[in-house]
Amino acid sequence: MPLVELKDITKVYGTLIANDKVSLELNKGEILAVVGENGAGKSTLMKIMYGLEQPTAGEIYVNGEKQKFHDPLDAIGKGIGMVQQHFMLIEQFTVAENIVYSKEPRKGMFFDRAAAIRITEELCEKYGLYIDPREKVKNCPVGLQQRIEILKVLYQEAEILIFDEPSAVLTPQETNQLLDTLRTLAGMGKSIILITHKLNEVFAVADRVVVMRHGQVVGNMPIKETNFDELSFLMVGRQLTSTVIPQVEKGEVCLEVNDLHVTGAGSKEAVDGLSMHVDRGEIVGIAGVSGNGQSELIRAITGLLPVESGNVRINGIEVTNRPPRDIRDSGLSCIPEDRYLWGCAREATLEETCIMYLHNKEPLSTGGWLHKNKIHSFVSDTLEHFDVRYTSVFQKMGELSGGNAQKVVLAREVMQHSPFLIAAEPTRGLDIGAIEYVHHALLEKKKSGDCVLLVSSELSEVMSLSDRIYVMYDGKIAGEFTRENAVEESLGLLMMGGKLNEA
Amino acid sequence: MKRKDTGRLAALLNTVSLPVIATILGLLLGALIMFLSGHDPLKVYSVMFDKSFINVNYLNQTLTKATPVIMCGISGAVAWRAGHINLGIEGQMVCGGITAIIIGLYMPGPAFLVTLCACIGACAAGALYALIPTFLQDKSHVSLIMVTLMMNYIANYLSTYLVSFPLKDTSSVNANQTMFIDDSLKFTRLFSNGQLSTGFILSIMTVIAVYLVMNYTSFGYESKMSGFNPYFAKYGGVRERRVMYLTMALSGAVAGFAGFVEVFGTKYRYSSNMIASSGYAWTGLMASLVGQYNPFAILFYSIFFSGLTIGGQALQRDFGIPLQIADIITSSIMLFVSINIGIHLFKAGRKQRTEKKEETGNKTPAKEAA
Ligand SMILES: Nc1ncnc2c1ncn2[C@@H]1O[C@H](COP(=O)(O)OP(=O)(O)OP(=O)(O)O)[C@@H](O)[C@H]1O
Ligand SMILES: [Mg+2]
Repeated sequence: MPLVELKDITKVYGTLIANDKVSLELNKGEILAVVGENGAGKSTLMKIMYGLEQPTAGEIYVNGEKQKFHDPLDAIGKGIGMVQQHFMLIEQFTVAENIVYSKEPRKGMFFDRAAAIRITEELCEKYGLYIDPREKVKNCPVGLQQRIEILKVLYQEAEILIFDEPSAVLTPQETNQLLDTLRTLAGMGKSIILITHKLNEVFAVADRVVVMRHGQVVGNMPIKETNFDELSFLMVGRQLTSTVIPQVEKGEVCLEVNDLHVTGAGSKEAVDGLSMHVDRGEIVGIAGVSGNGQSELIRAITGLLPVESGNVRINGIEVTNRPPRDIRDSGLSCIPEDRYLWGCAREATLEETCIMYLHNKEPLSTGGWLHKNKIHSFVSDTLEHFDVRYTSVFQKMGELSGGNAQKVVLAREVMQHSPFLIAAEPTRGLDIGAIEYVHHALLEKKKSGDCVLLVSSELSEVMSLSDRIYVMYDGKIAGEFTRENAVEESLGLLMMGGKLNEA
Repeated sequence: MKRKDTGRLAALLNTVSLPVIATILGLLLGALIMFLSGHDPLKVYSVMFDKSFINVNYLNQTLTKATPVIMCGISGAVAWRAGHINLGIEGQMVCGGITAIIIGLYMPGPAFLVTLCACIGACAAGALYALIPTFLQDKSHVSLIMVTLMMNYIANYLSTYLVSFPLKDTSSVNANQTMFIDDSLKFTRLFSNGQLSTGFILSIMTVIAVYLVMNYTSFGYESKMSGFNPYFAKYGGVRERRVMYLTMALSGAVAGFAGFVEVFGTKYRYSSNMIASSGYAWTGLMASLVGQYNPFAILFYSIFFSGLTIGGQALQRDFGIPLQIADIITSSIMLFVSINIGIHLFKAGRKQRTEKKEETGNKTPAKEAA
């Protein structure tokens, strides 16, 4: 008997069927990967299983017993836990306090701090997930925060752990550690559901894989009986093409950064005397472990963070410490790394999201008046162009699937056709079909004589698209490579703060 | 995945359904209280609605009362939608009213010119009075809510002083009030009996004008986006400080305009405390909250709440039911709506807090963006 069984689950949002009679089984000790294109209904299905959403129709069985989950507490009561992609931790508290939160050990009436620490240490020991219980959460990097989330779910005695795109925010090293953790947990008899867009992760850990498309299950097989090509075909419904890198003549300098100093959070020098340039007709990549000043660099270029010293020029125009609008006017558009913080507002409609920055320019408005008809057709075109899955332009951004929200932000910035585009983590959360499309769009941009600054924690992405690569470490440029002399090993070494010995 | 544009309708239904449910619950709670205090709710309600919305004379009173309420509601919505909580509408309205009466009484010239100047002066006074707390918030991070609230008292006491001494009509011994404005300045009454004047039409025009500004101009768009997510607005090139000043000025100007209309359209003079004691601003804020910043919903709820008060007064005369019953009904509606909105805000807030951490790890850009 399967441990969890979902039977004919249907979820309807207005006119949209997010899940259409989905059935799924999860066995004890199994790692089940759920894959599928953006908007296929994966997150929705997991939210239903975790009690965050109620199904329109269908049944959930745990250990053969029919269940009705009104909220996540019901699901936790039946041993189902979910590691949120958006961590729900209290940053001022310590690791131990966060783990026992909502089920604290007590001594009499009071919180028993020593017991909390002991419990955390025991948990760490038991599952081999080591972390200092006394550390404050705000001092933990993203990878460790995720580990705290996992420990928290384990402390609540979850037998079934759901992970929704857990590696999206992790560095490659952290991802590897996470995959090890998943194997360990499965080895100890826990059952795991892993949603991911990265097929290499699927092949690395999963026992079985379920493929979803348009709200339905279109494939369900043991991992041994399938391969990369079959899975990607099932996911996107077509063969992937290989990207061809167009040869373009380099033009004049577009972005120039000179000896830039930027103070980051905690008054530490986040960007420390950095100089670089991007020329027209070029895609320049920045490789680096996240947290080495990339975010601050982008924010300083786009005018969202003050520059201490040094300067930035775009198309020959001095833009250092100018307001964001003026910088954009000089020919910049930017795909921000955090789509929900900088890229959009959840309550805003798709239409409102798409016209940001263009809203006070011809042809969308004249003299401060918006032209609703033109806006409407512009927005429909933009969304169509990037194959965003939506029901109406008056939908709220918060209702889109993660990947589709990313596509909207991306589409808006690319459709501005500015000479210079910053693309920070442009393919985060996208399915392989959409990634191919985005890569294609970036190369098109280069072909038309514009240039792109690509910042990505995905080394393979940087290496396959960029004409030139800067490696960033500790706020400085640690090395520069051309497409021809970029070798993964040397890049990796510099990214970790090592030195190349010139031989 | 069909692309029908039923979305706008669905969104509208969504905004409408919540206040409607709250209204019904409020009426039910009111009925329960009446029942418990020994009255027949059906009978009471039928009288109450007759003597507020159906009978022409009472409807006239209702709409007269609603006129300033509508504009106060709009004023609140303008600011709130952009994420600024303006609790100083009353004070801004007082400033508008006082400016209007001063110009109305002392400016020489043809009537239309005096009226025009009074109107512009009142709007400007309201706007300036709203810009003071905005400036304080911008320069020294003093809470806008607190300052706007406190400045209501300053405006009201100042106006009391003005009408008690320099502007006092010395012929009236007991009351502290100004003289009446000239007959040629008074707004035309719409019907032969009843106080309803062209001021009501002006308030409807305000609703339409603000609706157009908010939905069809790039300023309205920027203001709305700043309210939704200031980081997004800033990143997209919105000059957020400029938008904040403009938004607050507009909010204050509408409140000042309400003061002008109240003086020139209904009261014809300024008597001490006349605006503060009426509670227009607070009823307007209620309508604004219940109507969720939609100008037309605010129009509707302003008239509805004003009608409840007028109907409540009739109840007092006909049944001896205290006026507070009407207040209880309005307050219950408010209560139910705020519960709904509160839950909504709480959920949204919790979501945002956790999601802000997404992808930025534990770096909060709040400080940098401020
Ligand atoms: N609250 C909501 N209201 C309306 N539609 C919604 C809501 N939540 C999700 N949807 C829709 O349901 C569909 C499935 O969304 P879901 O988030 O499950 O996709 P997903 O498979 O997780 O995609 P991704 O890979 O992009 O995260 C999408 O088309 C989305 O727009
Ligand atoms: Mg998802």
